[in-house]
Amino acid sequence: MEKVIRVRKLTKDIPKEARLLCDMMLSELEKANRPVLEAVKCTLDNSIYNPKVGYLTPGDKKVRTELNVSSVQKMARVIFMLDRLLTKLETNAVHTKRELYYIAKGEVKSNPRLKPLDFASQDESDAIIDFIGDMLEVYREELNCFANDRGGQTYSQQLVVTETLPDGTKAVVDLSTLGTTPFQPKNKPQALSLKAKKKIDFCLVVESEGTAGTLVANGMTKRHNCIIIGAQGVPSNGVRGWCRLIQQQLKVPMFFFGDLDAYTLQNIYRTLKAGSASSLIRNADFSAPEVHFLGVLPEDVKKYDLFCYNVNEKDPAEARALKKAKDALSNDPFFQDKRNKRLAGVLEWLIKNKKRCEQQAYFSVDPKDPQIMEKILVEKIKNGNYI
Amino acid sequence: MAKQITSSSTAEYFAKNLQQVGFSSPTKAVLTTLKEAVDNSLDACEEAGILPEITVTVRKIGPGSSKSADLVEIVVEDNGPGIDPDDLAKVFGEYLASSKFGRGRCTRGQQGIGISAATTWAQLTNATGAKVTSKTARMRKAVRATIDVDIKGNKGVVKNKETIDWDKPHGLRVEFRIDGRIQLNGDGGLLTYLEGTTLVNPHLKLRYKLLDNDWVEIERVSDVVPEIPPATLPHPHTMKLGEFMTHAGLYGKMEFGKFLKQGFSRVTDATLKELVANGLPKNLLEMPTNKMTEEQFKTAFQVIQKTELQAPSTRSVLTVGEEALAKSILRLGDVDFFSVVTRKPKIADFKPVVVEVALARFLNRGSNDEPVQLLRFANRVPLQFDKAACAITRAVETVNWRAYGLQQAKDSLPLGPYVFAVSVVSPFIKFKNASKETIDSSDELVEEIRRALMQAGQKLSRHIRREHKEADLERKIAHIEQFGPILIEYLGRITGAKEARMKRAEEGLKKLLGRDTKEAERDLSEAELRLQALKEQQAKAGLLFTASSFNDDEMKTRTEENKDEAASAETAGETAGKSKKAKGAAAAAADLKVAGTNRAKAAAVPARRNTTATKKGAATTAKAK
Repeated sequence: MEKVIRVRKLTKDIPKEARLLCDMMLSELEKANRPVLEAVKCTLDNSIYNPKVGYLTPGDKKVRTELNVSSVQKMARVIFMLDRLLTKLETNAVHTKRELYYIAKGEVKSNPRLKPLDFASQDESDAIIDFIGDMLEVYREELNCFANDRGGQTYSQQLVVTETLPDGTKAVVDLSTLGTTPFQPKNKPQALSLKAKKKIDFCLVVESEGTAGTLVANGMTKRHNCIIIGAQGVPSNGVRGWCRLIQQQLKVPMFFFGDLDAYTLQNIYRTLKAGSASSLIRNADFSAPEVHFLGVLPEDVKKYDLFCYNVNEKDPAEARALKKAKDALSNDPFFQDKRNKRLAGVLEWLIKNKKRCEQQAYFSVDPKDPQIMEKILVEKIKNGNYI
Repeated sequence: MAKQITSSSTAEYFAKNLQQVGFSSPTKAVLTTLKEAVDNSLDACEEAGILPEITVTVRKIGPGSSKSADLVEIVVEDNGPGIDPDDLAKVFGEYLASSKFGRGRCTRGQQGIGISAATTWAQLTNATGAKVTSKTARMRKAVRATIDVDIKGNKGVVKNKETIDWDKPHGLRVEFRIDGRIQLNGDGGLLTYLEGTTLVNPHLKLRYKLLDNDWVEIERVSDVVPEIPPATLPHPHTMKLGEFMTHAGLYGKMEFGKFLKQGFSRVTDATLKELVANGLPKNLLEMPTNKMTEEQFKTAFQVIQKTELQAPSTRSVLTVGEEALAKSILRLGDVDFFSVVTRKPKIADFKPVVVEVALARFLNRGSNDEPVQLLRFANRVPLQFDKAACAITRAVETVNWRAYGLQQAKDSLPLGPYVFAVSVVSPFIKFKNASKETIDSSDELVEEIRRALMQAGQKLSRHIRREHKEADLERKIAHIEQFGPILIEYLGRITGAKEARMKRAEEGLKKLLGRDTKEAERDLSEAELRLQALKEQQAKAGLLFTASSFNDDEMKTRTEENKDEAASAETAGETAGKSKKAKGAAAAAADLKVAGTNRAKAAAVPARRNTTATKKGAATTAKAK
């Protein structure tokens, strides 16, 4: 089996650490003591945001799981899944989270003794895998477990990507030769090096993958030396890692463009820029701290007379987003940081006005001009009209 | 020229508007006829201090005169005092001829409409009125006759009168043949009515045969005939000006002040002083009432209304009582557990009212996903239609039953295999319609009903909580069995531990989780203790609250022994027995081998099943024969 490419240089010996942990548990049990599992608490109340670092990092809080009749199920599941993951690590086998769910499910269902462990849905097995990562303080990717690919479709006439494959061979992808097909980064570690054929002026990450495609179809990448990436909603680890790579290797200004609503600002943009609370220990490699918020900005609504409409507070999802925005202002260290005051201001505007504006509203500024969105975006970048 | 104005008799009005008094459909016609006959029998027996024995048969005897109806025969026979032959025409053939109208007593019938309406319906649909057989204690032979309603003159007409031999010392048999349809179950069903009547009349012995089903005989569980308290004098705040003046008319020349004291409750010399202080001319008090002008009456009435008076007396209401209700509910089927509450009489909307509630979980009726069965009663008469608009329904829906361990969607009836019986007794129940199907919901009345429901809910929750704890213990035992061995096995796999080490870890795990089980067991014992305390408290008060208390054999024993002692001993015994079983189960669980069998579970489950089985067996009642 070929060697798996790693996200970072890890000094930890995962199998050894896992064995030590299990040995400690057995010893405690022999003494009729309750073994305790400790993991980093991956929640917003244990998140620290330091603008100099650029992403959310974990605080000191830990989640303690002590063995008792209520937790014995979770512990049994953790140790069972750990055994499966260690076997994969030993053989360098890689799997997606979904594959691991089905592997575990098959084994559990066919063995009557293991039946009580049965995972009713993938969420349950995912939670156990994440707990193992947080417990050993290693990335899920370092346990050879990956999520499915999602988002990151990239278009550029200038970008050339060279990938070093596990066997040492190199693949060179000139994105200008791909026609209408995008380049898509994987949701697992890749050894990529980037080169620009010409100086790239900016990189634009668009919330909607479809809208990114439309901008390219309308010729934006031909007229401008740029990179356009479709985020496809909340950016996956793959998208965040890819954006970070572009920043590090090409040092081009990066902008995010999405809807003007609480969900976009909080769940999509903040995750891209500073990572998420649920993956606190991985944000160092999965965030792009220099990305700017290009819009839609509240002032754009007025300036371009954009179509916007009231938030439907009866819709549970929208009402929840609004409530979450209020909570973010009081709990989220990212929005509480004084350097992000303008972003917090956008949230306040949303809470106060209870309005939302879709990114596609730019198309309606001049319905006869298919390039109108491109023109506005470039104008905004040129004039520094972003956060 | 203006059309001639004619006046019509009361009978004519009701004959044209029978839907207003419960004859709006063939199905309702059968139920209403049965209900009127049975309610009259019960009232008559209670008035005469007789323990009622009622026999009911309802059968289909052919096609009805109208297209969608059958000809249905309804026969109700009682052991009541009987009706004097001279009064038969009045009782069955004349509207508003009642011995109870406006007397302010908690009788079932009030106005004298119901049974005459049934006679009218029989006459209209089958051309014959009510066939009545009556014998009073003074009569040697019984009288049998057919009573029709003379609709034009609102009079009863006696036909085919004959004297016959009847082996009963006294009683009444009434037979109606009407167009109708028979519905047995559901909200408007005959069985629902008979069950409801059984529940709130513990002193009733009932035999019935419906359609081709077998005879059913329900024994009485109380030998006490409820004494209907005498009516109290009216309270001045419950009257309108017109009524006030008519009332004064009954007292002739009496001085107004004296009239107020003698004609009303809660009016004393001190009250009169207060009335004067509030603006009543002093000389008015000495004026004979027949000399007073309308204006003077109005002035006096207004002063009385704005003066605060002591609330009316609550002595005029009667209750079934917790003990009788508790015994009675067990006649309805296999009861798992139940709670009953009789509130003290209260004043709601300036009228005395008493609310009683019985909540019971049955083993063989309803399910967890269905709403509870709500039985509503007004003056001990089941209310079976228009549930949504009733004060009782509103009260049940606004109680938060989740707090007592029941499932409930917001503002709806709770779910589960329960029967909720709510009885409202008052000499002045405000119904929404003449057919007395729903109680008007005032805030005060709804609040009073809610309080009763909440009290009963608290008692019920002790049982439910104990069950939850029991389930918790079972779940914990199951967890140890299921997950313990897997945890040890996989820890061994990862560390490569030897057999001896794994064995030691197994032992350690058993000890650890055994401690947890003991905690759960302690919780269960605490819940059981709380339940036991409730039972003891009730036993002390002479109220026997366990389903098994009413086991046939035990009932016999109880007649011979002191009731209170027996109840305490038995209640305590039952609980102690259960604790022992639970402890046994937990001990077995602690002893289990981690590599595991189902021993612990097997030990725990029967402990619970036994409990259920005891209840099942014990709750057998003298229901079907």
